[in-house]
Amino acid sequence: MKASDVCAVVFVALSSVASPGWAQVPGPNNAITDVPGIRVGHFTGNPLTGTTVVIAEKGGQGVAGGVSQRGGAPGTRETDLLRPENLVQIVNAITLSGGSAYGLAAASGVMQCLEGQGVGFPVGGGNVVPIVPTAILFDPGRCGAPFNYRPNFSFGLAACSAARSGPVQEGNVGAGAGAVSGGVKGGLGTASVVLDKGVIVGAIVPLTSVGSTFDANGNLYAAPLELAGEFGNLIPIQSGPPPGMSRPAAVPGGLLRNTTIAVVATNVELTKTQATKIAQMADDGLARAIKPTHTPYDGDTVFALGTGRISMASLGDPAFAEYLIGSAAADTLSRAVVHAILSADSTSCEKSYCDLFPNACRNRKKGAQK
Amino acid sequence: MIRDRRASSSACAAAVFTLVSVSASWAQTPGPLNAITDVPGIEVGQYTSTDSKSGGGTGTTVVVSRAGAVGGVSQRGGAPGTRETDLLRPENLVEKVNAVVLSGGSAYGLAAADGVMLCLEAQGIGFPVGPNQVVPIVPSAILFDPGRCAPFSRRPDASFGLAACNAASGGPVQQGNVGAGAGARSGGSKGGLGTASTVLSNGIIVGAIVAVNSSGRTFDAEGNFYAGFLELGNEFPLAPTTGADVVPPSNLLQNTTIAVVATSARLTKAQATKVAQMADDGLARAIKPSHGVGDGDTIFVMATGTDTRDATNLVNGIGSAAADTLSRAVVHAILAAQSIHVDSCNVKSYCEQFSQKCAK
Repeated sequence: MKASDVCAVVFVALSSVASPGWAQVPGPNNAITDVPGIRVGHFTGNPLTGTTVVIAEKGGQGVAGGVSQRGGAPGTRETDLLRPENLVQIVNAITLSGGSAYGLAAASGVMQCLEGQGVGFPVGGGNVVPIVPTAILFDPGRCGAPFNYRPNFSFGLAACSAARSGPVQEGNVGAGAGAVSGGVKGGLGTASVVLDKGVIVGAIVPLTSVGSTFDANGNLYAAPLELAGEFGNLIPIQSGPPPGMSRPAAVPGGLLRNTTIAVVATNVELTKTQATKIAQMADDGLARAIKPTHTPYDGDTVFALGTGRISMASLGDPAFAEYLIGSAAADTLSRAVVHAILSADSTSCEKSYCDLFPNACRNRKKGAQK
Repeated sequence: MIRDRRASSSACAAAVFTLVSVSASWAQTPGPLNAITDVPGIEVGQYTSTDSKSGGGTGTTVVVSRAGAVGGVSQRGGAPGTRETDLLRPENLVEKVNAVVLSGGSAYGLAAADGVMLCLEAQGIGFPVGPNQVVPIVPSAILFDPGRCAPFSRRPDASFGLAACNAASGGPVQQGNVGAGAGARSGGSKGGLGTASTVLSNGIIVGAIVAVNSSGRTFDAEGNFYAGFLELGNEFPLAPTTGADVVPPSNLLQNTTIAVVATSARLTKAQATKVAQMADDGLARAIKPSHGVGDGDTIFVMATGTDTRDATNLVNGIGSAAADTLSRAVVHAILAAQSIHVDSCNVKSYCEQFSQKCAK
């Protein structure tokens, strides 16, 4: 075989993986709610903290879920039951919340909300136990807020009651309300992608990270993953912040106050094992968008859901489909991180990315991409 | 073949000799209370709610270490309901837990931990995150008891955790139909809460507390406890009679046995994890089957570290004692459990099913 033949074979193999069968465009809302069966609800407190709930259903039942928990300071509920060998095969909702470990209380409100709708794992006699895995991020006491103001039962109840399909509000809302990322204001972001064969993948992320989403010059690491101009004409910069402004050196309040938590979802029917693999691959999307990530001080936790509208069998080789869905989940999560940082608004304590790097954002119409 | 038998019998003699020498260096006696509170710095608080009409109960048991204890977990049951188990992995940042919550209520009962967190925060107990700011580290696990002789909606919430935490103290620990064991059932008998402790000859103390709510049984067809052979002193006052009662079958999918093992040893998180894994074998020896699909069996370890010796070479002995202590706590739970007979709510205790054994 000649060298050129080898190259041709490689080209064919690569092209069959990357494109034409799996062209990628954002969904109509460029949001996780583009995945049928997914609804999102926020409740935002004042001062800034909050709760975001992602509800998943198929035919009134929950859907398969998985988790990747790689950050070093997690706060979680119900992650043990997600292990593939364990009994419960469904998830009804995922709660993402501020409030550090105190914010785990929000999940109890979500459970009550869902129980009131008869949604949950059936345990006989018409009774249900809603399956609501949860992760929290650290935001209490930020920017002069009282340390004891944080999401509780009522936040979860309100966020769940507000859940709907359609567009998802981004920025300083829900679990992203009090978020800070690498010294700039973090926020909540979402994104989606439509692949061939009707496969849809979405992600949602409240961004609170020790690491930064941009390099020394101020360029966002995940900017190259942009689809269809969604980041609104970001301009590459070489200069860093303008004169008189300096890049924040450290996270306010110290390294201990972080954690990036996320949900990815697809309309493909997954087993728990497959959802676990998708969550692991999606987690790489955090690694590409935030540097460093998964540190001892971040409780980074990524959940994956499969709403089962498309059978895995209809996509050919399941391992290969899983590979493509996982790859797309990582890229979609990276893009959601960029949306989180671009949609965040400055507060009296932290500047937003666009206020710190006005040259990068000067052509950008805020909100125009969605 | 004959030669082989001789060879194996001499090997067997050597093995027996080894076992004897091990047990000699690890003489075990129960602590003064035969309770997890024999471990210095460990406190227990319980809150029990009993439905006056039906007699059905549920509740919450909290194990508190005000100074913080290095934590570990073994989660091997197939239907767990848990909080804060991820942070217990050895590679993760936080090392010490302030309390562990065991609660009824299925996953709804995870709310009890919210009340425990508020109780501890008010006392300034928790992982420090700033001036006068703490986040209490409170891993939790639940068992399934809702709807047993009581409305399904009756289950532990934050107020149960708050009350249990406020009641926490050292000293004797109530057993039986109390706290997380109030609504428990075990293999068709009334389950309950049990505790036990062991003082090793090297001075290290190991204690266990368990809410037994298992699909499997703790005794054989003749009512002999699987873990009866682990008795220390005369802690299981049973008559050596045989006589079988008819024990009804259990619901295989609505169970879960949850436990805490505490020790005075100074362990790392990795060592505490190993002790939790070994302690879990104590469930296997006391309950058959255990770790089933419908059991969310979860064992936490709290190492208070008041015994400051390097524990590197002690982990094996501590883990072995933890398993035995947990097995004994399971027997205490079943022996202390009381029958419920109120209207249509009827569940027999072991001692009602095998009244001659308990006559002693």
